[in-house]
Amino acid sequence: MIALLIAVGVLCVINTGLVILLLVAETLIVDTGECRITINGEKALTVAGGRSLLATLKDERLFIPSACGGRGSCGLCKVTVLEGAGPLLPTETPWLTPEEQKANVRLACQVKVRRDLQIRIPDELFQVKQYRARVRDLADLTHDIKQVTLELEEPPEIRFKAGQYIQLEVPPYALTDEPVYRAYSVASDPADTRRIELEIRYVPNGICTTYVHKHLKVGDTVTLNGPYGEFGLTDSGAEMLCIAGGSGMAPIKSILHEMARTRSPRRCRYFFGARARRDLFLLEPMRELEKALPDFRFIPALSNPDPADAWEGETGRVTEVVARHVQDASQAEAFLCGSPLMIDACIQVLRDKGMPDSKIFYDKFS
Amino acid sequence: MKQSRQDDIIQDRMRPGVITRDGLLGSDRRSLRDILEADEAEVRRLGLSHAAIAARLRDLRDAGAQGLGEPVTVFDHFEVRVDSVRGLLPCPFPHEGLCRKEFVDVRNLRSDERVTYTEMNIHMIEAHGFYEGTGSPFRQEPATLARVLEISCA
Repeated sequence: MIALLIAVGVLCVINTGLVILLLVAETLIVDTGECRITINGEKALTVAGGRSLLATLKDERLFIPSACGGRGSCGLCKVTVLEGAGPLLPTETPWLTPEEQKANVRLACQVKVRRDLQIRIPDELFQVKQYRARVRDLADLTHDIKQVTLELEEPPEIRFKAGQYIQLEVPPYALTDEPVYRAYSVASDPADTRRIELEIRYVPNGICTTYVHKHLKVGDTVTLNGPYGEFGLTDSGAEMLCIAGGSGMAPIKSILHEMARTRSPRRCRYFFGARARRDLFLLEPMRELEKALPDFRFIPALSNPDPADAWEGETGRVTEVVARHVQDASQAEAFLCGSPLMIDACIQVLRDKGMPDSKIFYDKFS
Repeated sequence: MKQSRQDDIIQDRMRPGVITRDGLLGSDRRSLRDILEADEAEVRRLGLSHAAIAARLRDLRDAGAQGLGEPVTVFDHFEVRVDSVRGLLPCPFPHEGLCRKEFVDVRNLRSDERVTYTEMNIHMIEAHGFYEGTGSPFRQEPATLARVLEISCA
């Protein structure tokens, strides 16, 4: 018995010694003190080491797009790390093409700041800011889509281009223990710099959509960052084919506001797919835009109208309606927003109508 | 078979918050190896194979995807709705490639039973024989899949 107790005691002492040794080794070998991050060869930041590059840059108010809160499960936070990142991790490889790996592209959420880093990020990310905003209005557009109007408080104004998106922060609540971020396209006119409008469709058990639909109230304060994205109006003057469904309405609406304000003469046809009359929304603003723009038509299409809808407009899936209306798309440009499935199906139809891929613009956020 | 070090690493990636919020193991306390072996035995007992089950899931998904998010009737008596959201997910097993975030909801109109599965389920069943742990939000019981989706031995 005494021998057993002595053996246990010796093991405990050895274990404690090993733990102390590891802690000392970590302190001496792993540099988690001050590190220097040089960005695009110009801007230099002195930061405390030890955290992820994504979190470290966020503390310095440099926001890299990320939809998963830094878990390495969205693959959005790509940055080029020219020096100091260490070897590529298995958690990064699924998200990076061989070309990206060769070009030293890394996931900022997986790279730990342990030594000086040289990184490269797109210049437009310097324009991304964090905003505090107040919920000014919440309106049900359909049974599952809410319009959220946010009034910016600090900073009080945002500059964005029609078609861009922001990331809304969801604070910890019943469905999440930590803040998470989700991307939403801005629906309002970029000229209205003091407020932004979002259209958010409820996804059962979705962390952000449940928060917005079931918890958010008028007067609440929210945090967002942005703007992000390259989707938006081109200056080619070519005929525009806009195709959207559900909350995909948002960026197209922003683009149309921009066109109306600048009195764009471009020919534009907007195909909007929904299941039944109850899934259609913002019909009146679309009719107003038809009056404001010289060559714009809004073409809603119902795939499965209720008999009670007494619907006399277009019927069928939105891709079928586009195929019926468009004979030759080779000279036009397309602007798409909707589910990845819808976008893939639209791309196929547009290719069949002669549109080159370079003229098809969309933001799948993926 | 004994759980290997590699199995431990994979099982760690299945925990809540690593790839998905709820993880892929639910309340299952078994080792990954035990889960895989139990489902393997169940699939054999049903006279099926992982490939046959995955093929049926994929056929229904492909047919349902034509609805662009709306329900469509497939093979006479299945109502299938495929919804997709933005983003991609890596598989917890170590290999290249990502799965789309797609949800397939299938209702058997004859029996009025339904199952909901993901693109990731199809991949994990086909490539790894993994149906997720008991209590996981997208756990697929092989016997339920076989009954509701009418999968029979080749």
